[in-house]
Amino acid sequence: MIQTRGLSKTFGTHTVLHEIDLNIQAGEIVVLLGPSGSGKSTLLRCLNGLEDLSAGSIEVNSIEVTSTMKLKERQQRMLQIRRQTGMVFQQFNLYPHKTALGNVTESLRMVKKLERTHARHVGERMLSRVGLLEKKDQYPSRLSGGQQQRVGIARALAMEPEIILFDEPTSALDPELVGEVLDVMKSLAQEGMTMIVVTHEMKFARQVANKVIFMDEGRIIEQSDPESFFERPATERAQRFLSKVMDY
Amino acid sequence: MQLVWDNLPFLLKGAGYTLLITIISMFFGLIIGVIVAIARMQGNRPIRWVARFYVSIIRGTPVLVQLVIVYYGLTDYGITLDAIPAACIALSINIGAYLSETFRGAILSIPKGQTEAAYATGMTSAQTMWRIVLPQAARTAIPPMGNTFIGMLKETSLVSVITVTDLLRSADLLIAQYYVYMPFYIGIAIMYWIMSTIFSTILERIERRLAKAY
Repeated sequence: MIQTRGLSKTFGTHTVLHEIDLNIQAGEIVVLLGPSGSGKSTLLRCLNGLEDLSAGSIEVNSIEVTSTMKLKERQQRMLQIRRQTGMVFQQFNLYPHKTALGNVTESLRMVKKLERTHARHVGERMLSRVGLLEKKDQYPSRLSGGQQQRVGIARALAMEPEIILFDEPTSALDPELVGEVLDVMKSLAQEGMTMIVVTHEMKFARQVANKVIFMDEGRIIEQSDPESFFERPATERAQRFLSKVMDY
Repeated sequence: MQLVWDNLPFLLKGAGYTLLITIISMFFGLIIGVIVAIARMQGNRPIRWVARFYVSIIRGTPVLVQLVIVYYGLTDYGITLDAIPAACIALSINIGAYLSETFRGAILSIPKGQTEAAYATGMTSAQTMWRIVLPQAARTAIPPMGNTFIGMLKETSLVSVITVTDLLRSADLLIAQYYVYMPFYIGIAIMYWIMSTIFSTILERIERRLAKAY
């Protein structure tokens, strides 16, 4: 479903991703782990075209983008890819000038071209899926961080994506609000949604993921099932990383 | 002061033109401002260069010079405009340059995450600009825009030099008739002041309403 071949990303002279080869099947829940600056978020953003790729290729749902395509063509295809993938951001990035419901229905109206009442209907269904129907008329500023992030998830879900990308969805939350967001993500996982999650929630990674990808310095160091990654990390770098994060 | 009262209808007509020119110029200036602001940020290199040149030239020359160029200057090339359209064109072009800077600043103040969130749900860059970025930028832009608007109201007094019978020129005509200065000048000063005050009040209301939205 998602495939990258030799995907590289450079910012100026700094190479953030080195020839990443990735293969993700439908229904997989992949957790990307690694120290900060290892390129996890950049990889996620490349998959969604929020960062342009410097070399290599990406294929999502048989839509292929390669670095050698013309800019126009690349942008056109990236737009197609984005319409089949959802993204949830660390800082939520809700539209502050729209209500919770408005945040969810915006792209239903603009991109899917649903008419108003239909969009409302779908929007309400999505909000109730994340347990926030009663907050539909609130502006984001009146919602807690956890609630905002759940609206963010509802917004992504509404577009009926094949895959949802989560970029550190709980990192900006107060500890007591993390659980409600993880619960929503778990229920999505149980429903069979394909998910790629950058996170520092080790417990979530261990319980929910079917695959763990460990990255460091822009390279994939290790790929395995969570059980063996957490119990028997193969590389020294992964061991070091785990010993650091597991101490707390 | 009796003279001012007796000639009030005439002065009010002048005030009407002042208001008319202000509103028309503000309206078209707004459109020019948004387009130029977007052109400066998203256009290709020649477009960006043209937009920058336009802003630089307008901000670097006096309005009075711009007015006489449009009204008198263009007649050399056989383009003869009536005074009021000429005033509106010159002032729209002028105010568009200033507003484009205001909008550019306001657009740049919107966090990048907003654009990314909209892109991530599949919106095109045009949709993102119109639906997500501009509505938020408008809120930031309203206070400085209000200042430009009130500044414009007063700057319209310059159009009297290209024979528009605005408020200032109405007073001048009455002065030429009655040979007294002060009552008329004080009278129109008060009228300018009243108009500015009404505008600021309206703008404050709009600001407050927008602030309440979130």
